[in-house]
Amino acid sequence: MTTATAPRAGRATHGPGASALAVLRLQTTKRFETFGSPLVVLATALLVTALVALVVWRATPEGSGTWVEVSRGLQLVLWWLVGYMVYNGVQSVATTFPLALTLGSTRAAFTAGTAAHHVLVSAHVTLVALALLGLEHLTDRWFTGLHLLDSLFLGGGDPVRLVAILFLGQLVALSVGGAFAAVWVRHGPRVTFAAGVGVVLVLALAAALVVPEVVEAADAFRLWWLAVLAVGVIALCALVQTLALRRAAVR
Amino acid sequence: MLDDGRPLFQQIAQQVADGVVAGTFPEGAQVPSTTELAVLHRINPATVGKGLALLVADDVLHKRRGLGMFVSEGARERLVARRRTELAATYVRPLVEEARSLGLELDDVHRLIDQLDQEGLR
Amino acid sequence: MSTTTAARSGPAVRVRGASRRFAGTAALDDVTLDVPRDRVCGLLGRNGAGKTTLLSLLAGHDRPDAGTVEVLGEQPFENPRAAGTSLLVRDDQRYPDDFHLAHVLRVGPLFHPAWDAALAAEVVERFRIPAKPPVKKFSRGQRSALGVLLGLAARAPVTILDEPTLGLDATARAHFRELLVREMSEHPRTVVLSTHLVDEMEGALDRVLVLDRGRLVLDADVDEARERAHVVLGPAEAVERATAGSRTLASRRVGGFAEVVLEGPATAAATRSAGAAGLQVRPAGLQELVAALGAGDPPSPEAAVTAPAPSATTVSGASR
Repeated sequence: MTTATAPRAGRATHGPGASALAVLRLQTTKRFETFGSPLVVLATALLVTALVALVVWRATPEGSGTWVEVSRGLQLVLWWLVGYMVYNGVQSVATTFPLALTLGSTRAAFTAGTAAHHVLVSAHVTLVALALLGLEHLTDRWFTGLHLLDSLFLGGGDPVRLVAILFLGQLVALSVGGAFAAVWVRHGPRVTFAAGVGVVLVLALAAALVVPEVVEAADAFRLWWLAVLAVGVIALCALVQTLALRRAAVR
Repeated sequence: MLDDGRPLFQQIAQQVADGVVAGTFPEGAQVPSTTELAVLHRINPATVGKGLALLVADDVLHKRRGLGMFVSEGARERLVARRRTELAATYVRPLVEEARSLGLELDDVHRLIDQLDQEGLR
Repeated sequence: MSTTTAARSGPAVRVRGASRRFAGTAALDDVTLDVPRDRVCGLLGRNGAGKTTLLSLLAGHDRPDAGTVEVLGEQPFENPRAAGTSLLVRDDQRYPDDFHLAHVLRVGPLFHPAWDAALAAEVVERFRIPAKPPVKKFSRGQRSALGVLLGLAARAPVTILDEPTLGLDATARAHFRELLVREMSEHPRTVVLSTHLVDEMEGALDRVLVLDRGRLVLDADVDEARERAHVVLGPAEAVERATAGSRTLASRRVGGFAEVVLEGPATAAATRSAGAAGLQVRPAGLQELVAALGAGDPPSPEAAVTAPAPSATTVSGASR
């Protein structure tokens, strides 16, 4: 009676929730790539920032303070992490989806598990960055006055802003990567390219229309506008991924 | 080796029966299990089962629950008796037909057999 | 957790009138078939016949445009109740970047509770699957071996393998057949596999399905399939005389010789008279039958030789 019991046993442990958890574990199977590589990117960005600041310090007159401004203004951490996370997001769907289907995941479970993976990775890197910011404050700017995480785009030293910016920034990057990869899985390279061009055009058009208003509204600008925008983009990407994968077939 | 054009299950049955006739599997002895035969010949266990079922139907083998398949009492004798009656159809007729097509007479065939006997073929 | 009656008895796979079109071309055209439980079913046919499309439907990787597909009583596409009951390893299976053998060994059990790590280790050993290079760098044969590993070690109730022996060397193919038949003895389950190595795989199969241009042209027990056709070979004129009036599936002429594949088994009388005329008569091999069914013109409906799935009477309970 092995055959009669096997499928039922399979179903008992593999409800939708369990399957989404299985997808999360599938996504984090490559442990170093998942949790180590982003930290390597973060560390490299910090190191390069420090080196650039050092060069500037040597090149400018004693006591000018330019190098501090450079270290605060150089936004390597954010951009490198965002770039890496777009790649990561593409990977998490493009090549993982076919394997997840083969292993017996549903598309819904895959989408849920992958979203959880994106949140987990963003939170992990953000927490490490937060710890480093704490260290930066404790060591009085690395005993030198160097501003690494206390930089303009990372909230100027405010831990709440740092968390919001890094977490949402990475999650947006992962979501955008995942959404494009989902479109690619479903519709192939040409549609994906067209979608990319379309998004850029829409953004340019929106910028052209909105920029004059923004100049007027600049005084009223609040950081939480960006947060709302980020959450909106993440939700939109999740919707795109869900819709694209819902009927995606592997042939 | 398996593959003489007949269905595989018949070939499996034949091979086990050969073993019984040759004394490889004496009466009362256990014959290889379905799994062993399947893995040995790399053929489907269902096919092996079908072949062994033929032998059970012929009372060459019998099943002991939970233990396996065993050679039945008197199996060898029955197989030998049946093969003797089939000898004419399976061996002698093709021999004679081939000899005739080569223009040999029955006497020539008899002589060939005697010759083999003298050369010491048991 | 409602397990329907169909899930516990009846065929493992039930396909009714399934069609699938890609860009207006029918990859599968009105296919109806059953795959009995705990049997190995070979899916045969030429490239482009629709084999991978059919397997994708069975595994829920794709769904039919028309008709229905059921696996263990459940429609497989995007159905959580069907998830994990089947496993389709594709011949061009993709793996995440930087995936190594160790990763594959880790993810298998996440989705398949019956996963057998010892069996997986045995497959690694027998097929010499390397641990060092990333899966992306694997050779064709190594990729197939990894597919065999996933397919067998998962012990999914319905195991679907697309060209499992592609690129495997002869030794590895022998290992595959041996592992497959051993698994079928010790852990019976339903296996559907596509292959071009018809003669080599024949012994491991219970049942054969043959697709040609999206249509099912043969659905039979292997033993029955062997009875479906015979071959007559000899001087062309003598062959023509002897086979006039018989239904010819395929024929070819080389020099003054002709070889024809005729429908149905060779009768003893026909064999004797053909023999007297200097002709050779023999049962058609499975490969010859497949080639004959898939070689010629688009099959007419009456050329489709299908048989009902075997009932419990086909094989007695003589196992073990």
